[in-house]
Amino acid sequence: MPQALTLYELNKEVRSVLQSTLRDSYWVQAELAEVNVNRSGHCYVEFVQKAKKGNTFVAKARGNIWANVYAFLAPYFEQQTSQRFAAGLSVLVEVEVTFHEVYGYSLNVIDIDPTYTLGDMARRRKEILDQLEADGILNDNKELSMPELPQRIAVISAPTAAGYGDFCNQLRTNPAGYVFYTKLFPAVMQGSQTEESVIQALDAIAQDVELFDVVVIIRGGGATADLASFDTYPLAASVAQYPLPVITGIGHERDDTVLDLVAHTRVKTPTAAAEYLINRVEESASLLEDLSQALVTSVQQRIQEEKMRLQQLTAALPAAYTRHQAGEERVLNRLSHRMALAVSEGVARRKHALQLWEQKIALRVPVKLQQENVKLEMLAQRIHDNSPERILARGYSITLKDGKAVRNVQELHSGDKIITRLSEGQVESKVL
Amino acid sequence: MEKKLTYTQAMTQLQEIVEQLEDNSLDIDQLTEKVKYAQELIKFCRDRLYKTDEEIQKLLKLDE
Repeated sequence: MPQALTLYELNKEVRSVLQSTLRDSYWVQAELAEVNVNRSGHCYVEFVQKAKKGNTFVAKARGNIWANVYAFLAPYFEQQTSQRFAAGLSVLVEVEVTFHEVYGYSLNVIDIDPTYTLGDMARRRKEILDQLEADGILNDNKELSMPELPQRIAVISAPTAAGYGDFCNQLRTNPAGYVFYTKLFPAVMQGSQTEESVIQALDAIAQDVELFDVVVIIRGGGATADLASFDTYPLAASVAQYPLPVITGIGHERDDTVLDLVAHTRVKTPTAAAEYLINRVEESASLLEDLSQALVTSVQQRIQEEKMRLQQLTAALPAAYTRHQAGEERVLNRLSHRMALAVSEGVARRKHALQLWEQKIALRVPVKLQQENVKLEMLAQRIHDNSPERILARGYSITLKDGKAVRNVQELHSGDKIITRLSEGQVESKVL
Repeated sequence: MEKKLTYTQAMTQLQEIVEQLEDNSLDIDQLTEKVKYAQELIKFCRDRLYKTDEEIQKLLKLDE
């Protein structure tokens, strides 16, 4: 009988060989297939390495993170990566290789490098984005136009999430009192079921797509982010090609998930998503108020303008009349002036003529007077020559009856008294 | 006003009327009619913003 070892002796031998040949620790790249934390705070994980193609494992190992390590390692990792230390992640960990006679081969984790995980997540995101781009759907959702009034909102959220309550409350209590209609499509928003659950909710909304203006995917109030759940190609492709604009508010501060990148609009929190919607309606409302103000103003202005036009016309009337009148007046004035001028000229002319005549008369009067004087004298001579005295002196007599000269004997009757005037004296006689 | 006017259509029409008013291309005789219509449009839009539409609520089967 060959010399046999007890199992314990063999395991002890293995352990001592491992301890003597292996280094104290190694940095190892692996994927976390399982992560469990027990009540005493120890974390048990399963590391795997998948084949380049397909999902078969090419390596597998148990790992332990003792409570004293896990207590600082997990928060550090989560703070650095915005990612819960959970199954599905690729990690770079520093491990001690151990072999225990009872529990066998396992890796004790003593440190972790979160940048590796970040890099790996970024690489996965980039692969998904490249694929979406290649499919030509990367920006499809962004290119949809956000309705002016996104009031009918399909909400994808865990029904009990604090973020959902915040979102609805924010909308309900918007100060302006805009109306919003929200309908919840419940989904699991964390862990491995996330992808399938959110896609189901999207499909359910798509059944009544005309009833909604917008889809909001929110999460918040939970513990740590679990962004990897949203970094999947099927989910990203569903959102990118969704017929309604999708708003994400999945509650993380750092890197955008693929879901955020393909969504129409990404905000950080559910409350911010509500704010976004309220602002959008607010924009529309203020445009409406501007228009309604502009309507009033422009109508008033128009009426004012018409009034002014009317006033101007009214005012222009007398002016035009006055202008017309002034014209007439000028004509009149000119005429009257001309008339006055003509009159005064006429008068002057006549006056002048008169003066000429006067001068002429003045010149002629003495001549004329003399002539007349001569004539008068001649006449006087002639009168003198023919005076009764002269005639009587020449021997003629005049018979008077009743003081009148008798020229016809018929005038005389018997018994009439007559006077005969002689050159010297007179004779009274009686007709026989 | 047409029954099935959308909010966007109403806003577009409203904008047109205001523009017409502002560039004085509206005849003064059309003014009253247009302004009246514009006011109906404003009311329609305001109702959309501030008044709960029960038909939508029924369609969405919203739980209050």
